[in-house]
Formats: sequence, C-alpha cells, structure tokens
Amino acid sequence: MAWRYLRFRWLVSLLTISGVAVGVALVCAVLALRHESERALSRDAGLYDLVAGGKGSPLQLVLSSVYHIDSPTGNLPYADFERFQRDPRILWSAPVGLGDNYAGYRIVGTETQFFDLPDRQGKPFFQFAQGRRFEERFEVVLGSQVAQSTRLEIGDTFFGTHGLVEVPGAEVHRDFPYRVCGILAPTGTAQDRAIFGTLASVWEIHETEDRLHSAIQGSALLEGRQERETTAILIRLKTPGLRLWMADEIRKGTDGIATVPINEILRFQRGIIGPAQKALLAVASAVVGVACLTVLITLHQAAERRRRDIAILRSLGANRREVAVLVFTEGLLLTGAGILLGLLLGHGGLALGAGTFREATGLLLYPWRMPTLELAALGAIGICGAIASLFPAISCYRRTPIDDLHLTE
Amino acid sequence: MIRLKEVSLRLGNAGRSSSVLFHLPSFEVEAGEAVALTGPSGCGKSTLLNLIAGLRRADQGQVEVAGSDLEKLNSAQLDRHRGMHCGMVFQTFHLLAPFTALENVVIGLRFGARTRSKLKEKATEVLDRVGLGDRIHARPHRLSVGERQRVAIARALVGDASILLADEPTGSLDPETGQEVFHLLREVAEEDRRTLILVTHDPALATKMPRHFDCSGLVRSASTAARKENSPR
Repeated sequence: MAWRYLRFRWLVSLLTISGVAVGVALVCAVLALRHESERALSRDAGLYDLVAGGKGSPLQLVLSSVYHIDSPTGNLPYADFERFQRDPRILWSAPVGLGDNYAGYRIVGTETQFFDLPDRQGKPFFQFAQGRRFEERFEVVLGSQVAQSTRLEIGDTFFGTHGLVEVPGAEVHRDFPYRVCGILAPTGTAQDRAIFGTLASVWEIHETEDRLHSAIQGSALLEGRQERETTAILIRLKTPGLRLWMADEIRKGTDGIATVPINEILRFQRGIIGPAQKALLAVASAVVGVACLTVLITLHQAAERRRRDIAILRSLGANRREVAVLVFTEGLLLTGAGILLGLLLGHGGLALGAGTFREATGLLLYPWRMPTLELAALGAIGICGAIASLFPAISCYRRTPIDDLHLTE
Repeated sequence: MIRLKEVSLRLGNAGRSSSVLFHLPSFEVEAGEAVALTGPSGCGKSTLLNLIAGLRRADQGQVEVAGSDLEKLNSAQLDRHRGMHCGMVFQTFHLLAPFTALENVVIGLRFGARTRSKLKEKATEVLDRVGLGDRIHARPHRLSVGERQRVAIARALVGDASILLADEPTGSLDPETGQEVFHLLREVAEEDRRTLILVTHDPALATKMPRHFDCSGLVRSASTAARKENSPR
C-alpha cells in the first residue's frame, strides 16, 4: 500500500527521493574519494622508506620523485647513491634523474635495479605486461598509462622534449631517439604515468646539449667539469623503523635532505586536502539534513492530505498501529530509495571520473569500494530518514478517524 | 443484535456554549433487520451510526453490538470489532484514489476479514455480485458515481460483516442511480440476512424500509439540556 501511495504521488516522491539522493551522493563521493585518495597516496608513498634529494621543500621532493608532479628540489652527487648501495642497512635504492618528458609524461632516468623494488610483502612490485627491462642507453620502459595513452608499442621510437611538462615550442632532443623495450603492468600508482630509461641516457642528452650550447655561445666547456648528479634517490630500508634516524644521518652526511614520504603525504593530506574535504563533507551533510527535512515535510503533507484516506482505513477496521506503520513505511521507502539512488549516483560519478582523476594524478581509484565511514554515514542518514518518518506516523497514530471522515477528496 | 441504552455524549468542544448533547434513551435492532434512520440534518443520525460502528464512544450508557459491549473494548479491539462486524457505506463513497476497484475491495478484506486467504478471488466475486465484474481494474476516477458506490458496497460486503451501516448512500447520486443502489443494498442485506441500518434524508426511501427510526430530538444544545436537568419536575 505504501508503495502504491508513493507511486500515486510520483512527482512529489521523485523529488523527495532526488533530494535525499543528491545529499547521499555527495556524502558517498566525498568519503569514497577521501578514502581512495588517501589509500592511493599512501600506496605510492609507502613504497619507499626514504627519499633523498637536493636541499628544498621535503614535500616538493616527495611530489617530484614519487608522484612525478611538481619540480625537483635540486640534485645530489651520484656518489651519494653509490654510497647508499654499499650501506648494509639499505635493502634497495634507485636514483631518479629528471629533465625531459614525452607527451607530458616524465622520462625518469634510473638504474635497472629500479624494477627490483619489492612490495611490502616482499614480492616484486613491478610486473612487465610486455617486453623487458632496459639494458642499453636510450631503451625505455613505459608505465601502463603512458603506453595506453601514447599507443607506443615495443620497438617504437620517440624523441624526448626538454622540461618536465609539455610546453609548446619546447626543445625536442631529435638526436637522441628513445626505443621502447618494455611496458609495465598497471600498478595503480604514479609510476604508471612515467617513462623509465637509463640515467646514463639522461646525462648524455644533457651533457651533449650543454656542449652544443657552449660551442654556439663560444664559451669553453671543460671536459669532465660536471660531476654526475641525480635528482633524487629512492630508498627502502631493511628495517623501516630506522627511517627517521637514517633521514637525519643523510641530512648530516650529504649536501641535501632526506625525508620519509609517507609522513610528508600524511602531513599534506591533513594540512591541505583534509580541511577542503571536511568543508565538502559539511556541505554534503547539510544537503542530507535538508533532504531528511524534505522527507519529513513530504510525509507530513502527504499525511495531512491523506487524513481522509487514513480515516477510511480506520473505518474499514485498520487500527492505529497499522496506519502509523503504513505512513512510516512510506518514509522508509522514500529514504531507502534516496540512499540507493544516491549510492549509485555517488559511486557512479566516481567511476565516470576515475579515468580523468587517474590521468591527472596517476592515482588509481576503486570507485565501487565503500569505506567503513561511508557505511556509518549511510546508516546515520537512514536513521535520520526513519526519525523524519516517525513524526507523521505518530501524528496519524494519534488522529481520531471520525474527525477526518467528513473530509472530501 | 444491536442495543443502545441511555447513551449520551457531548459533541463539539466540551464546556463551550456551542457544544451539543446527544442523548438516546433506547435503540434496538434485531439481527437481519433493516432500519432507516431519518430526521432533519444535525439531528444525530450519523452520530448514532458512528456509535454503532465504534467510530465514536459514548460518554455514558451502553452500546452493545454483535455481542460486544463497545464501551469495554480498547481502541485496537474496537477497530478489530468494526472490521469484523460492520461494513460501512458512505455518501461520498470514500474510495481510495490510488487503488483500483478490486484493490479497494481487497483492502476492505485485508483489515476486516476473518481469513486473509484468497483475497482477490473473494473481492472479484463480490464485485461481480454488485455488477462490476468487468470494471475491477478501473481506478475510482474512471468509474461513474453509481459504479463508485457499488464498489463501496462491495467493500462493505466482502468481509462478511453481519451489519451494514450506510450513511446517506444515495445522497450523491441521481434519483435513478440512487434507486438502483438502494435496491442493491436491500437485496444483498436480505439475501445474506445481514442487518442494514441506513441513514437517509429521503422520505421516499425511508418508507421502503421495513422499519424507520426518527432521530429528531436526539441532539440538544448543551445549555438547553442543562436547564432542563436543573428545572423542578
């Protein structure tokens, strides 16, 4: 009966359901996005215990070397990397040399052991979808998103462009063609948006370019003048508990800085992303509050309009409890339908936007996952809807049928 | 059997000068009897009907319907009693707009029936009996006023209520349709040996009933009643 009454007032029902759905969708989207972005950011940052780089902002260092966004802080001597490799406390380390991009994707110069990075369970983090690691200079391995977006295949060649982002008119290194030798399987991290080549290639391109520029400008370039450098060094420790102590040691022993990426990211999230998300959540909660109020008003109005119908039911033998349950059920149906539709809208919206989000940030979202907080929020919304439905139900429970039987349709 | 004895109740707001007092010394109807309640507007015909249905409670006196003293029943028991023993037909039909004719009748059965099995079959059967076998899926707004009242009669009949209470059932109908509806009510009540109490303004209809009860004088203004009680006898 409750369903039939809702169908009979389909426009009002639809508008009420839509009101609840919009609020729920916003809450779901904000909570799911927060959970997924936290998880995705932590997944990237959690891969490395430490990142060492030139002096500057630790957050900038992490963003540039782990997430492949933002500019690097500066360089460290390659000798520092060699020293880390000999350190018995370090499980794995890899240099990161930046300078060029292809189609906006950064070309990361590193060493072949980069692909030996173990995940936290000790299994290899990188899997090859096609091909193999780079062995020679100017061989490159593509992250999965790069391969998908550029449609480059094994054996294809391309030229790198100077700079970390795609800028029209930027210098293209036409003398140094890169050749694709491998494509990585998706990792759901920023590594999917990078192109990995040898650090030696990065050095060669830029040393040659420097020589050329010096010759054009008539200035002398001293052979071997430049000490080989690396933009950052990614480190995994045998004992992650030593992170802070090692970071301190690196700061003291080198000319750069070292930081714990997960700490930087958590600080970043709590300091910058967190308040914005809280503000969004507050707006979403307000929308849900208004939606619950709409349920209350709709049901109250429906109950007022249906005083005669309720009286008829009572004249047919329905008792107070039965008519109250009928009105309450209508409220629950409205709220339930709103919650379901909102879930679909919220997560559907995330699913639709996941591709763009990945494109922009490299972070892989699982839009249909529901964090515990979201389940709790949905439960709270359901309770609010039930409370909103209770008032008109109580009002119907209290009415005396004889007062309303004289009412006309 | 319906028996009301020394029943009184105050109507309107108690204590206000506008309130009126309903007082019925005695009213009895045997099972299977057909009675017309007559009298001018506001004389208390509908109040008497509502007292029998348990839609109103008396302030004083005894209301006994189908073996139960209604004053001793709580609200839920009263609803249940009404659903089981009283089938009501109203002047303005009181059908539920979102539901079809069949569903309106099924709803009558759902709350009042002794058994809840085969609701649709039974409702269809009763609609067929009142001549609406081919209109069972029509919603009220698609039915003529006469058809609507037939649906209301079917709803009153479907639960096998032993008492049919009709409050001006022909009041909204044209004379011809009114006659049809009246005859239908009389016919089904007689066939099933149900008690029929019918409120009407129409003297012609009242004379066609085997018995009529004039309700004139049942309702007085509260102040008049008080003066009468206080005056020396």
